[in-house]
Amino acid sequence: MAAAAVAALVSSTEQEPDRCGSEEENRGVEAGDGGQQPAGPAAPGCSRLSKLPLARIKALMKSDPDVSLASQESVFIIAKATELFVEMIAKDALVYAQQGKRKTLQRKDLDNAIEAIDEFAFLEGTLD
Amino acid sequence: MAEKPEDLNLPNAVITRIIKEALPDGVNVSKEARRAISQAASVFVLYATSCANNFALKAKRKTLNAGDVMAAMEEMEFERFLEPLRAALEVYKKGQKGKKEVSEQKRKEKKQADGEHEKNKEDEEGEDEEEQRMEEEPEEGEEEVEN
Repeated sequence: MAAAAVAALVSSTEQEPDRCGSEEENRGVEAGDGGQQPAGPAAPGCSRLSKLPLARIKALMKSDPDVSLASQESVFIIAKATELFVEMIAKDALVYAQQGKRKTLQRKDLDNAIEAIDEFAFLEGTLD
Repeated sequence: MAEKPEDLNLPNAVITRIIKEALPDGVNVSKEARRAISQAASVFVLYATSCANNFALKAKRKTLNAGDVMAAMEEMEFERFLEPLRAALEVYKKGQKGKKEVSEQKRKEKKQADGEHEKNKEDEEGEDEEEQRMEEEPEEGEEEVEN
């Protein structure tokens, strides 16, 4: 599955040697995800700054054939931006759930947010 | 690779955690919504990368840098991200600097240690050979048995 491919990609990406205690937390969380993520231990970005594994972000970036190289900083910023994006879209979708007097965010709330909010226009037609 | 870039999803556990921390307590998220957000995040990475890459190409560079990503955020109308991203980048750079110094120090120490080792090389080699022989013995034994 995709996991094997990701693992292959990750092994070829740069790895940063040191790890903080927070790394263990991340690994634990990822391991709890059905153990699909062999990429866990290889995830660099020691500091708590990035919740998302930089190796995975980099793999995504490299899947674009037009991209040759990306600096570590750029990978980090994209990871961080993605985090902010997830927060933003979750909060915006919540508005629609609340309008429907629901406490559970549903797929349609996301669709509504994507349709209504200009910044999310790039998502139209991209989700299953 | 025959796989679509969208197959490279970000870890569900992390996405879930980010969502939960962004929303007030008591709010739940359906599996479908979570999956859609995770997909959207992957699309975001791809779109941001493509945008940033355009800036790099314009500047005739082959390596994406932080500035390109910042420019991409503006282009994508995510100016609200710029401040927190700049702040996070500063902290990240400091952390990187610290790591570099640590690894440079380690290299220096290693060089010094190697310098000393060269003097004692003969002795050490002898020890190593003995260790290797000991490790090989069981294997050789197995080979003989097979033969």
